[in-house]
Amino acid sequence: MFILSFTRILRFAFQSFLRNIWLSLVTVTIIVLTVFSLTTLILINVVTEQAVTAVKDRVDISLYFEAGAKEEQVTLIRNQIEKMSHVVAVNYVSADSALELFKQTHSGDELIQEALKEIETNPLGPVLTVKADDLKNYPIILKSIQDFKIDEITKEIDYDDHQLIIERIESVSAKIKQIGLILSIVFALISLLVVLNTIRMGIYVHRDEISIMKLVGASNWFIRGPFLVESVMYALLGCLVFWILFFIGLNFLAPSVHSFFADIKFNLVDYLLHNFFYIFGFELLAIIFLNLISTLIAMGKHLRV
Amino acid sequence: MIHFKNVTKVYPPNTHALRDVDFHVAPGEFVSIVGQSGTGKTTLIKVLIAEERPTKGRIIVGGWDITNIPARHVPILRRQIGVVFQDYKLLPRKTVEENVAFALQVAGEPMEKINKIVPQVLKIVGLEEKHERFPDQLSGGEQQRVSIARALSHRPKILVADEPTGNLDAINTREIIDLLMKINELGTTILLVSHNREVVNALKKRVVTIDNGQIVADQERGKYIL
Ligand SMILES: Nc1ncnc2c1ncn2[C@@H]1O[C@H](COP(=O)(O)OP(=O)(O)OP(=O)(O)O)[C@@H](O)[C@H]1O
Ligand SMILES: [Mg+2]
Repeated sequence: MFILSFTRILRFAFQSFLRNIWLSLVTVTIIVLTVFSLTTLILINVVTEQAVTAVKDRVDISLYFEAGAKEEQVTLIRNQIEKMSHVVAVNYVSADSALELFKQTHSGDELIQEALKEIETNPLGPVLTVKADDLKNYPIILKSIQDFKIDEITKEIDYDDHQLIIERIESVSAKIKQIGLILSIVFALISLLVVLNTIRMGIYVHRDEISIMKLVGASNWFIRGPFLVESVMYALLGCLVFWILFFIGLNFLAPSVHSFFADIKFNLVDYLLHNFFYIFGFELLAIIFLNLISTLIAMGKHLRV
Repeated sequence: MIHFKNVTKVYPPNTHALRDVDFHVAPGEFVSIVGQSGTGKTTLIKVLIAEERPTKGRIIVGGWDITNIPARHVPILRRQIGVVFQDYKLLPRKTVEENVAFALQVAGEPMEKINKIVPQVLKIVGLEEKHERFPDQLSGGEQQRVSIARALSHRPKILVADEPTGNLDAINTREIIDLLMKINELGTTILLVSHNREVVNALKKRVVTIDNGQIVADQERGKYIL
């Protein structure tokens, strides 16, 4: 009985959709735009988070030792640093590997390669890099290291918290988010009105059927059901159409998107594939919620028995 | 079967469509309701099928007090009262068969039951041959018979007809009235609203006359007296 009624309601809803096909298409289009702005908002949030994490990952304290620093001395200091609280890792790079690394990164630079040959001896010393468990603990660790009084054997103790970059990223993203939010609200309002209008039109077109339904004792939900189903259909179609278009577009743009995010080691496509159902589900539910509200408003007292 | 107890209906601001209407219809009766235009006959039907609520008084249908019937029970009431109007109210894009089936579908009846009932009621109204026609391929009398078939599809105990012959010529009118008589003989209580003097007089059944919202006459084997 329930299943039977439901398939009938589904069929009525589908007929209603087809009967006003142009209006239905406009409705779906505006929902696609709403999903677009919602998605933009979500992706901006994700990208910002990734970018900030990437920058935070790069934060560390580097101790550059003098070229002649003894390995035992460095190991001793390393052991002491490792014992400090909040330190999660201390990485040791020997003078030789430091040189290798330097050569590699400047392999294209003739001048540097020439200069290195000229010197013959290794101008670089060993390096210790210190990672803390949290960004806010670096200053404490730095202070403790400076208390070692190892100026004599270190060229430089380098610490940069990248505060400036993080602030820049966050402020730019906050601005984009604001625009995205306003856009989403505007589109949500427009789609609310468009869906409301479409459903009202549907009720108007079906007024004879509705009055006959009432007359012959159709239940309230049989009269309202098709319009509710229709509005859910718009939501589903809008979300599907948007994501199909999105993935088609992404296919073309994938290389440039990839290089754009390469800097922060973020793979947008991977991220989307992994989280697609969460994002899609969230958007679908949000749009369904919006559409049901406008449908309930549109039906108002028209469809009461 | 139908009990109106001092029913008054006032349309805001102050149109008194029914005033203190009090009458009783026994099961299986055939009652004609007559009266001039605007005297409240249609309003009487509307309060009976809960399309309007009475301002005062009580209405009882088959022992069920429907005076303040909640919305969710209204469909149940309407399946027990078949209604027919002057303008047939058929869906033009559905065939005869589909128009009748529609009433059963939207009440959630199963397919097997629909397939069984539709030919039965079409047979009662004599349209079993024309079941695949569309309303505009039928005469007015035939269209009205489709709407009667639809009204019968829920096997109602009561059939209400509001000027069912208002748009029909004498021959078609005769046919519809004969059909109503036949349905009445099968046990259905009938309430017929009519303007047609000959029809009411020929019936030789009970006649309730309404004037200005009040019952002014109620006669067994009555005549159209206005
Ligand atoms: N929805 C409404 N709102 C306000 N007044 C109404 C409404 N429906 C009917 N009326 C008024 O109530 C009175 C009775 O109307 P009703 O339709 O019951 O008359 P009727 O006897 O069926 O007339 P007719 O024979 O012309 O069909 C009329 O004065 C009419 O104008
Ligand atoms: Mg009337």
